[in-house]
Amino acid sequence: MINFEEELKKFRPSLEVEDAEESIYNQDLTDMADLLVRMIQEVQETEEQ
Amino acid sequence: MFCYNCGCHLSEHDYCTSCGADVALYKRIMILSNLFYNEGLARAGLRDLTGAVTSLRQSLKFNKNNIEARNLLGLVYFEMGETVGALSEWVISKNTRPEKNIADDYINMIQASASRLDSINQTIKKYNQALVYCRQDSKDLAVIQLRKVLSLNPKFIRAHQLLALLYMDSEQWDKAKRELVKCADMDRNNIQTLTYMREVDRMLAPDETGKISRRKDREEAVRYQTENEVLIQPKGVKEPRRSGVGTLLNIMLGLVIGVAVMYFLVVPSVRTNVLNESRQKINEISNESDAKNNMISDLENQIKEIEQETARLQGELERYAGTDGTLQSMDQLLVAAGKYVTAMQYSENSAERGQYFQETADMLEQIKAGTVLEETSESFQNLYKLVFEGIGPYMSAAYYEIGNQLYLTSKFEEAIPILEKAVEYNPDNGDPYYALGRSYDGVGRGEEALAALEKFVEIYPMRDRATTARSIILRLQNELAN
Repeated sequence: MINFEEELKKFRPSLEVEDAEESIYNQDLTDMADLLVRMIQEVQETEEQ
Repeated sequence: MFCYNCGCHLSEHDYCTSCGADVALYKRIMILSNLFYNEGLARAGLRDLTGAVTSLRQSLKFNKNNIEARNLLGLVYFEMGETVGALSEWVISKNTRPEKNIADDYINMIQASASRLDSINQTIKKYNQALVYCRQDSKDLAVIQLRKVLSLNPKFIRAHQLLALLYMDSEQWDKAKRELVKCADMDRNNIQTLTYMREVDRMLAPDETGKISRRKDREEAVRYQTENEVLIQPKGVKEPRRSGVGTLLNIMLGLVIGVAVMYFLVVPSVRTNVLNESRQKINEISNESDAKNNMISDLENQIKEIEQETARLQGELERYAGTDGTLQSMDQLLVAAGKYVTAMQYSENSAERGQYFQETADMLEQIKAGTVLEETSESFQNLYKLVFEGIGPYMSAAYYEIGNQLYLTSKFEEAIPILEKAVEYNPDNGDPYYALGRSYDGVGRGEEALAALEKFVEIYPMRDRATTARSIILRLQNELAN
């Protein structure tokens, strides 16, 4: 049996057009490639030291 | 694929041929990203939008610069009704690759029309408002808002799901099923949709005990589902046979009942309403009539007052103007006064003076004939009197001369009016009284003769004719006594 209140919690407010800009700026666009590059750079820096 | 270090094009080796950087892991990441993109593309083709989103987001987690994955993700979001999400992905895509990017066309498509953008914004606001209503337990308002949202954006899956949830809460299973079917058509494998659908199917299905019996077979129903309703017709139910006579009898009975209801219930109330309306109208008309009657009587009173005032003013005007409506009397009096003044410029006993006096007298006669002197103003009367007394002695003497001649020739009837004028013009002149008294006596007017002769004796007691006058007075007194 479905509980209305519990199901209602799954519904979040939708972003409005005015809020899209802020949402885009706040997005974390770090991907696996960035992490890999960072890791390689850290290793290289450690080796140089 | 390009080297992360120097940007050089990578070969099939696991190192960059330009800078020597180890690109093995990097290549695997890129390959995985592309793998997930392909999976997302396949799912999107099969209308599994939720699965496509998952795969494409995974692809972007491996490689954020996978433009095709990002653009496709935006498309999927747009198809799910998440317009702002779609715009976000396309904007990021355009920033990553500004040139030769189809995301540019997608963005322009949405932003080209201001009304479309406004419509999108309104949809989102109404959806958010509907959520607020749900949390405030105003479910009816939430349903109304969601219907408006879906009329603006029929592809908004979350709105369909929320509406289905509301219908399920109010046990409107058919309507909930309808919404969920629409969701499933747009997004096949959405878990939320499938969960709700299972619940709705469970509530809509007939009671299943697992046992099949003859009785259950007989009671088994046939279910027809249309867009809006589910029709359940039990099997084995036979409709009764209908005959024409029975139908006709039923119709007649219905008519009779209808007429009876009309007569006993409807007609009296209608009649009462009509009567009440008529009474009300009569009252209104009566009130209006009373008000108008009052107005009429007020106006009549005003008319009377005005008529009285008019008559008074007319009388005043006539008093001033005379019978022909002009100020004739005043004019005449002024002319008479002017003639009198002119006459006085000539010497006494001159012919000119006499002429002017005569003309003045004539005018005064006219004034006296056309005016009631007592009703004129004081100034009018004073002027009249002044002029009259001014010409009095002359006119009295003139009239006496003429009247005396007539008296002496025994023309008593002709002498009397002239001698009366002589007396009128100068009451202090005694001579006319004698001739007048003798003339009255000559025509048998004893009393007037007596009065005139007594006046003569009073003014001239020592005159020779006074003796004659006294004897006549005695005779007249005896005659009158007898």
